[in-house]
Amino acid sequence: MLTQDLFEGVTPRGKMLFTAGLGALLLLPEVADSYLISILTLIFWFAYVGQAWNVMMGFAGQLSLGHALYVGLGGYGAAALYMHLGLGPWVGMLVVVPVCALVGMAIGWLGFRFGVRGVHFALLTIACAEFTRVAFDHITALGGSGGLFLPVVGGRGDDLLMLRGSPQLYYYVMLVLALLALALCRIVTRTRLGYFWLALRENPDAAAALGIPLLRVKLLAVGLSAGMTAVGGVFYAFYYNNLFPDQVFAMGRSIEILLGPIVGGIGTVFGPVLGAMILTPLGEGASLLLEALGITLPGTKQVIYGLMLVLIICFRPAGIWPWLAVKAGLVVPPGETDLREKGEAE
Amino acid sequence: MSLTLQGMTWLTRRQVLVGSAGLVGAASVLGAPALGQSSSGPLKIGVLLPRSGILAQAGQSCARAEAIGASVLKGLGYSVEILSADTESNTDTARARAEKLINDGAHVIVGAFDSGQTGAAAQVCEQRGIPLVVNIAAAPQLTEQGYKTFFRNFPTSLDLVGNAFPLMKEVFATTGKAPTKALFLHANDTFGMANKGAFERLFPNAAMPFSMLEPIAYDPKAQDLSVEVAKAKASGAELLIVTTRAADAILIVREMVKQRFEPMGIMSPGSSGLYDEQFYKVLGKYSDYATTILPWYDGKTPLSQQVRAEFVKIFPKDNFEGHAFNIGCTLDALLVAADAHKRAGTTAAPALLEALRTTKLETHMMIGPAITFDAKGQNVNFSSAVVQNLDQRPTVVLPKGAAEKAPVFPMPGWQNRG
Repeated sequence: MLTQDLFEGVTPRGKMLFTAGLGALLLLPEVADSYLISILTLIFWFAYVGQAWNVMMGFAGQLSLGHALYVGLGGYGAAALYMHLGLGPWVGMLVVVPVCALVGMAIGWLGFRFGVRGVHFALLTIACAEFTRVAFDHITALGGSGGLFLPVVGGRGDDLLMLRGSPQLYYYVMLVLALLALALCRIVTRTRLGYFWLALRENPDAAAALGIPLLRVKLLAVGLSAGMTAVGGVFYAFYYNNLFPDQVFAMGRSIEILLGPIVGGIGTVFGPVLGAMILTPLGEGASLLLEALGITLPGTKQVIYGLMLVLIICFRPAGIWPWLAVKAGLVVPPGETDLREKGEAE
Repeated sequence: MSLTLQGMTWLTRRQVLVGSAGLVGAASVLGAPALGQSSSGPLKIGVLLPRSGILAQAGQSCARAEAIGASVLKGLGYSVEILSADTESNTDTARARAEKLINDGAHVIVGAFDSGQTGAAAQVCEQRGIPLVVNIAAAPQLTEQGYKTFFRNFPTSLDLVGNAFPLMKEVFATTGKAPTKALFLHANDTFGMANKGAFERLFPNAAMPFSMLEPIAYDPKAQDLSVEVAKAKASGAELLIVTTRAADAILIVREMVKQRFEPMGIMSPGSSGLYDEQFYKVLGKYSDYATTILPWYDGKTPLSQQVRAEFVKIFPKDNFEGHAFNIGCTLDALLVAADAHKRAGTTAAPALLEALRTTKLETHMMIGPAITFDAKGQNVNFSSAVVQNLDQRPTVVLPKGAAEKAPVFPMPGWQNRG
């Protein structure tokens, strides 16, 4: 039943491609080198945090431009618990995820309770991320702006509990997290809450008139989104082994998080995944292309990356996934699902 | 036979197998591990630097050592091939680029100028068992994290500041003038905070002639430092001790001139900025008399002269002194790697690591004894020199043995410069 729900509206071709792709990703570390594995790990990470951001913006229509806040809080929180109390990242998540969800909900409450909407709410999220960055610059117990360096534990092989080990370990962990986020979003959008979000996103006034408790519904979206992003932050801390406020809380990181869903398709479940699958290889591909052409001028990659981004957004403003999914016959086109269901019933 | 769930036609076993096999096949072609690396042949050194982004100026300055090193190392009998990579001043990219360099066959990584990016690369090198020789990165924590493949040929912040105190006293003794109050104005990035920590730890026992006022921190990306400079002026500091990057060093001096803040001197315990070429170009006569106490190249050795000659040949429009520190540190890191390769007689990582641990490199560009590494991979034998900007070029003024000119202290006021 669950599988059926997860794949509702997906054509057999779509299912085959998904299953084959997943199978390939599961087997890939057996044949791929560490570079490809690290790039894919990065793709999964961006797919995951993009999915988390999409919960808030894509499903509930609340724009956040400061999601790096939760990456940083999650990362620093888990790293501090590991370094000062010896608690592993999974235990750390039990602490940092609710904390981040509450922080998100507190920011949301501040905004929604006092009627701060749209662009102004987005500015509030930026402000919160920025002042947290400045605050962390001065928390010396966490390294301040000098950074927090996690100790390296070598020679014990892969340790899933402590999230210590080879690139393959991080690859599988991030793959599973990305899949769980995908499944979670797919399920949540099919629940009563998901439909409330949809109503809120499409027309808040109409939703309120229908009796949907908007404040509670918005806060749930922010809380879920912040909590999910915090998990991404925990992974980030243990993957990179060092944290710097000006890197994890940076505005640039918030933008990186939302680029995937925008390019892939805001409000779609698979859009953030596709966006991450396009953007990360695009950056790396630009580097490889320049290398092959023998161009060593620094900054050229960023120019190419920017141009490609402009082209994608110009030609597919709603994102690539909605267009690709229909064009390639991966999902049942919108509007046809009901007709098919009706046909089957008859 | 089809997989059927809850009465729903899903997909056939054949479809799954064919699809998976196709994708794995494609992935294996795209991501095939580098062909078995031969342990003979030249040493491939991956040079990881921030060639774009906020640290681009320093990264590109370091990168000049690649062009110079190719011929210099060959002349010294080393067989190396250099692979370049750009961290884009970003830790995520630094990690991915380190992976790529190793994938492309790099036997050793050299880099990465910044502690954060170096830390990201160190994680990769440790996982892959590839040595990382650090050219510039001062955060003490890097050698405390427990890496086994990490070798830093650069002093930690503690060493930089610790070496600076006695040389400051020597400047005061030589000139017969000493300040009574000093203020530490620093960027609040990794390097700035590490230097601040070192100051707080070492100053109480340094027996300096001045007292330290409350330090002032600033964001190195700030576009305006007028408030910070005004605060420094109001504090009555007679000596301004700074830890800067490139752009902020210029902003600070510009503001000092504008606000007529004229302390006895501006001194830096090893940070970049005050001796960068851009500093001289932008500030002209106002760049003079700023002093940096740091490991510096020994201009009298044949190697340094050879490097200078190569620099002039390759970059005829640039001033060597403006890049000497970055080039010297990076070239020495390349030399360390090449020397280990020569002694190991192979490019195999275990042999290279063992050779690096027993490094004793006499011929290098920076002032100081032979390069060696302790158990944590740190070179602890660094010497510093007092480098003062005189006639718009960095000039060694102390120690006396290496001095080109005598130190000037206090520095002349802004209006009293030709």
